[in-house]
Amino acid sequence: MGDDILSYNGGVALAMKGKECIAIACDKRYGVQNRTIATNFTKIFQYSDHCFVAFCGLATDVQTVSERLKFRTNLYELREQRKLKPNVLYNMLTNLLYERRFGPYFVFALVVGLDPKTGETFVYDSDNIGAISDNVNLVTVGTASEYIFGLGELFFKPNMNADELFEATSQALLNGVDRDSASGWGAVVYVIEKDKITVRELKGRQD
Amino acid sequence: MDVLNPMTYDAEEDQLRDRTKYSQMDKHLIPVEFQQQPVSTGTTIVAVEYDGGVIIGADTRTSSGTFVMNRFTDKLTQLTDRIFCLRSGSAADTQAIAQVVTYQLDFLSAEMNEPPLVRIAANCVRRMIYQYRDDFLAGMIVAGWDKKLGGQVYSCPLGGLLVRQPVTLGGSGSTYIWGYLDNNYRPNMTQQECYDFVLKGITLAITRDGSSGGCARIAIINKDGVERIDVLGNDLPKVFDL
Repeated sequence: MGDDILSYNGGVALAMKGKECIAIACDKRYGVQNRTIATNFTKIFQYSDHCFVAFCGLATDVQTVSERLKFRTNLYELREQRKLKPNVLYNMLTNLLYERRFGPYFVFALVVGLDPKTGETFVYDSDNIGAISDNVNLVTVGTASEYIFGLGELFFKPNMNADELFEATSQALLNGVDRDSASGWGAVVYVIEKDKITVRELKGRQD
Repeated sequence: MDVLNPMTYDAEEDQLRDRTKYSQMDKHLIPVEFQQQPVSTGTTIVAVEYDGGVIIGADTRTSSGTFVMNRFTDKLTQLTDRIFCLRSGSAADTQAIAQVVTYQLDFLSAEMNEPPLVRIAANCVRRMIYQYRDDFLAGMIVAGWDKKLGGQVYSCPLGGLLVRQPVTLGGSGSTYIWGYLDNNYRPNMTQQECYDFVLKGITLAITRDGSSGGCARIAIINKDGVERIDVLGNDLPKVFDL
C-alpha cells in the first residue's frame, strides 16, 4: 500500500445526478493498509432532510470533519430557525476545509442535495482543502475513484429516473471497487427523491 | 570498498552505490504520483500433504500498490508433470525463478531418464533464491508427488531456506490463518478433509488480507495426475460476515 496517507484506510464514494433525483453511494470497508478491520464503516452522513455528504480518506478525519460540520450546521439551524440548503452546506464545508489550508484534513468530500419543492438537484465535489466544483453531474472520491469515473461516465445518461440512476450508480461502484484492494466489502446506496429517500445495502465481493 | 569486509566498508559509498543503481533512479527522477509500485502477488498460498499426494491452493489477486492488476491470476505454476510451485512475493521474481527451474528440471529429467524428485525441484528453487537473496523478493512453496517418497511439501521462504513440512502457508495473507491451521490441522487427514481445510483457509485469508482476493485455485496432485479446481467467488465457503 505504500505510505500514501489517503490510501491508509481506503474507501470510496460516488454520486450521480438524475431527473429530480440523486444517488449517493459508498463502500463499507474499514481497514488499516492491508488488513480489513470492519465491514460496516459507511462514509455517508445526513445533514438535513435532503442533504447528504460523503467523506473519503483518512478514517479519523472522516469522523472528525463530519462531526465538526454537524456542529456548525446545528448552530446554523438554531440561529436561522430553518433547515439547510445544499449550496449553503457545501459552502460551510469548503470553508471548514480551507481554514486548515496549511495543515489540512485528509478527506475528500462529496455533497449532494435536492430541493423538495422545485426538484432542483445539487451535486458537488471538494478536494481536501475546499476547492469548489459545482457544475458536475457525476462525482467520485476515494482510492478507487479513477476506476469508478471510467464506469460512471459509461453508465451515466442525463435525466435518468430513480431506478435507472440506482442501477447506474450501483454497477459503477461495485465493479470499480473490484480493481482496488483498499475498498469494497459491500456498498450502501441512497436514492433521494422529492418525496422519499430509499436506502439499499448491496452485497458485493467480500474480498 | 568490499561490502563484506568490515575494515573496508564505507556506508556513504554503499548508499551512493545503491542510489545510483539504474533501478533506483525512478525514485529521484519521477514525481511520487507517477511512480509505479512493484507488482506483487500479495497472496495467500497453502499446501498440505496427505496419504498418496498433496493438495495445494492459492488466491487469485495480483496487485500493484492498491491497484488490482489481475483478478484471476494463476499462482500454481507447473514445474514438471507432478511437481508444482506456489508463488508469493514479487511477481516478476517468482515468474523468472519458475521459468529457470522448469528448464533445469526438464534438462535433468532428460539426463536421468526419469521424472525428477520433488526434493530436487525444491532445491533448484531454493538455490536461486539463496544465490540472489539480496535482490529477490520471493517466497515459494514446492509441492508434488514422486515415486520415491510420495506426496511432499517443501517450503522455500525469503532468505533461501529449504525445509520439508507436512503443511505450510505462505504470502501476506498467511499471517491471518496460522491460528486456523494450528486449530484445525491434524495429521493423516483424508483427501476431502485436506481439500476443505485448504479452501477454508484461503477463504479466511481473502476476507481479511487486502493483498489477497478473487477466487481460490486448488490442485490435487497424486500418482494418477493433477486435478485442477477453480472455486469462484460465490462458491467459496461462508465465513463469519464482519
